[in-house]
Amino acid sequence: MAGTGLIDDYVTALDRRLRGPEHVKDDLLAEARDSLHDAAAAHRDDGLAEDAAQRRAVAEFGPVTEIAREYQGLLGLAHGTRTLRAVMLVIPLVHIMWELNRRFWIGAWNDFDAPPPDWYLLVARLNDTSAWVVAGVAVLALLVGRRLARTAVSTVTLARLAGVVAVGAVAVTASGNVAILAATAYLDAARLLMSPPVAAATVVSFVVVLRLAVLARRCVVFSSV
Amino acid sequence: MKSDALRGHLDGLLLATLDGGRLHGYAIIEALQRRSGGALDLPTGTVYPALRRLETAGLVASEWSTVGGRQRRTYRLTQAGRRALAAERTAWREFTTAIEGVLGGGPWPAQA
Repeated sequence: MAGTGLIDDYVTALDRRLRGPEHVKDDLLAEARDSLHDAAAAHRDDGLAEDAAQRRAVAEFGPVTEIAREYQGLLGLAHGTRTLRAVMLVIPLVHIMWELNRRFWIGAWNDFDAPPPDWYLLVARLNDTSAWVVAGVAVLALLVGRRLARTAVSTVTLARLAGVVAVGAVAVTASGNVAILAATAYLDAARLLMSPPVAAATVVSFVVVLRLAVLARRCVVFSSV
Repeated sequence: MKSDALRGHLDGLLLATLDGGRLHGYAIIEALQRRSGGALDLPTGTVYPALRRLETAGLVASEWSTVGGRQRRTYRLTQAGRRALAAERTAWREFTTAIEGVLGGGPWPAQA
């Protein structure tokens, strides 16, 4: 078909500028391509030749740079929402898994000959609490983001906000995990290895936090336009 | 009418267009142009991100469906979208009444 390249070139140019979840991107681009073909068909019905009809459809759609910015905001927001949902669900889940493991295989910390000092219990309590605070902040961010999406706040700004919350949530969780690990190593390094299942649960926790850190970093990358 | 003048009203216009029922993207654009007498002049590509943002906000819902033998993403208002549209309409009527009272050149109140 003469001029088919015009629409394809436009969609390809849009595709090249966008970064984000592939399934969301494919969906957005399929819709854009569909709309451009609809517009070209309408212009053909009005008497334009194929090439001119496609050129007009592309011109009406808007400059790639301008349109890509709005699409990128959507992609950043989609990734940010997904990351916040993961933070909301996975961090408490991993924490519960670790606690259950510890209670089953080790038991209460106070059962040791020398109960841990107050500062250690404080670090442990802060780490325990942070999992729930972080999950609560993620829920709040999702609700506020949904509300803000009804206002004039752009999707780029919303995506950046989601990224900031995600990075903060992962940083707090990682700090808590490292703090309790370091405190335990300082207090009694043998406790870290006294139970292989608990040690394995600790490794799993760090792998999960690492994965969330990667997702949070992508939030920042995808919301940069 | 240029796109800058429409920015603040785009959400309301899209919700109003979907008040009549489920539509796919290009049909929404056509309806906007038709109902405005061709005065609306915004890059059509901006309509889709706006629709998706409204979906994120829970005001519209969308799904792929077959329209005229082609796969198309169609949009419809949600209950929250209907409430938001009613609020937009009320705010718009209050705004136009107030502006019309001044710009429309009606009589000034009698001086005391």
